[in-house]
Amino acid sequence: MDYMFFVFLSSGLFLGWSLGANDAANIFGTAVGTKMVRFKTAAIIASIFVILGAVCSGSGASKTLVELGAVNALAGAFMCAFSAAVTVYWMVNSSIPVSTSQSIVGAIIGWNIYSNKPTDYTILSKIISTWILCPLLAGIIAILLYILTRYLLKHAKIHLLRLDSYTRIGLILTGAFGAYALGSNNIGNVMGVFVDANPLQNVSWHNFSLSGTQLLFLIGGLAISVGIFTRSHKVMRVIGKKIMVMTPITAWIVVVSQSIVLFLFASQGLEQILQQHNLPALPLVPVSSSQAVIGAVMGIGLAKGGHNMRWDILGKVSLGWITTPVISAIICFISLFFLENVFNQTVYLP
Amino acid sequence: MFHVKISLFSKTKSLESKIDIFHDKIIDVAMTFKKAIRVYLNEQRSHEYKKLNKQIKQIEHDADSIRRDIESRLYEHNLIPDLRADVLNLVENLDKIINKFDEVAYRFYIERPDFPAEYHMRMLELCDQVTDCCENTAIASRAFFRDISSVRDYSQKVYFIEHETDLSSGHMKEAIFDSDLPLANKLQLSNLITEVADIADIAEDCIDELLIFTIKRDI
Repeated sequence: MDYMFFVFLSSGLFLGWSLGANDAANIFGTAVGTKMVRFKTAAIIASIFVILGAVCSGSGASKTLVELGAVNALAGAFMCAFSAAVTVYWMVNSSIPVSTSQSIVGAIIGWNIYSNKPTDYTILSKIISTWILCPLLAGIIAILLYILTRYLLKHAKIHLLRLDSYTRIGLILTGAFGAYALGSNNIGNVMGVFVDANPLQNVSWHNFSLSGTQLLFLIGGLAISVGIFTRSHKVMRVIGKKIMVMTPITAWIVVVSQSIVLFLFASQGLEQILQQHNLPALPLVPVSSSQAVIGAVMGIGLAKGGHNMRWDILGKVSLGWITTPVISAIICFISLFFLENVFNQTVYLP
Repeated sequence: MFHVKISLFSKTKSLESKIDIFHDKIIDVAMTFKKAIRVYLNEQRSHEYKKLNKQIKQIEHDADSIRRDIESRLYEHNLIPDLRADVLNLVENLDKIINKFDEVAYRFYIERPDFPAEYHMRMLELCDQVTDCCENTAIASRAFFRDISSVRDYSQKVYFIEHETDLSSGHMKEAIFDSDLPLANKLQLSNLITEVADIADIAEDCIDELLIFTIKRDI
């Protein structure tokens, strides 16, 4: 196999690493920040389930990205992932809530424009609709869960100490589910652009087999895991204290809401069930876990009466919706030009 | 490696019962104190009073060791990290009530105040109010751990009874200073009445903090 594949894949791995650092913090941030769960436990669980999610159910959401722009040359895929990663890195440093999904979508559109490939506007509008739907849905689920949990706790009269134990277990279980949902939904962001140019072959061992795409997703999942272990601890500590000044139970509600939303936008099984019953199915699109978290936090804030709500965060999120894909597309377009003309790389196949 | 700590259930179960026992101690000390004052008013520093005074001391001693145990277990097992400081504060404040009961009972033992018979009823009424106030504080605090919706109800009772205690102690002091008792005796009785009423004040302080902790405990 061409060793250049791994050189080009490095940008995807970098994107995966930064996704692991930031998005794992959305799942286990409060649990670790409030010392309900140890970092080591959180990191191990998150890594295992992110990889499982990526390999077992990652194809659904990444398919939509492939439909948006079939990046057919490795160098082009490299630059898409690299532009997305640079945008994410820059936006994070500017304290703007950033979405890896929006960034990679922008980069793919940049590639489409550069390579004169048509952008499927049906798919694009489907993706953009999820950017609004994702935090909205997370908010609605969080409100419902908050009301239900409050009602149950009021009537169940569980001892504070026992509730503490239940909350810990709840945070770990939902964290595992959240990590699985993150892996299945967001692996498309990390590896989606490499799917069409993927040279990896199917492997099988006894009754166990992995397709080339699953192998690619496994590598992406490992990159996310490395991000979780090496960088997310710092982000988790910050998230645990800064964004979510809330109780471990409300943190649990946030994680559940976010995980459900990510899962809804990634599950092919659920899509089939909904379609069989003639119900409108949600598009399988990589969505932003950070925005789902913000939606859920806002939802809980509203359920509590809307006091102490930081509405300026909504402004920042909206700003991110526009700036992230635009910046990423511009960086991708310019970089592709340099990669093709200065470094003589094939960035697209006609 | 995985600190899921299913064993937490056994640890929390034993700690739950420790916290319950600690609350029982508040009710025990209040009831014993009430009985001790009744005995004192009837028999002064009799053998029975000494026995009750010793009993109060023992309860205070037991409560101290239970408090220390609760505190160390909360830290050792890293339990309720978000509310641990509040719970420790609450337990320490409740312990102050027990300490105060012990302190006042001991003062009666040491100072041997001479309570004229006409004040006995009022003194017993004051003691009833103080013990009632502390019992309700214990119930409110217990509710904090299990049923936060009823904390407010019991807290309201504590506030009401504490106010009654202030009125009773005030009226009693007025009556004492209007009497023909020697000034030294008046001052001693007034001082002891203030001490008894102070127990209800400590309970009220406990409830003030408890209500804040309850707001924080609400999800």
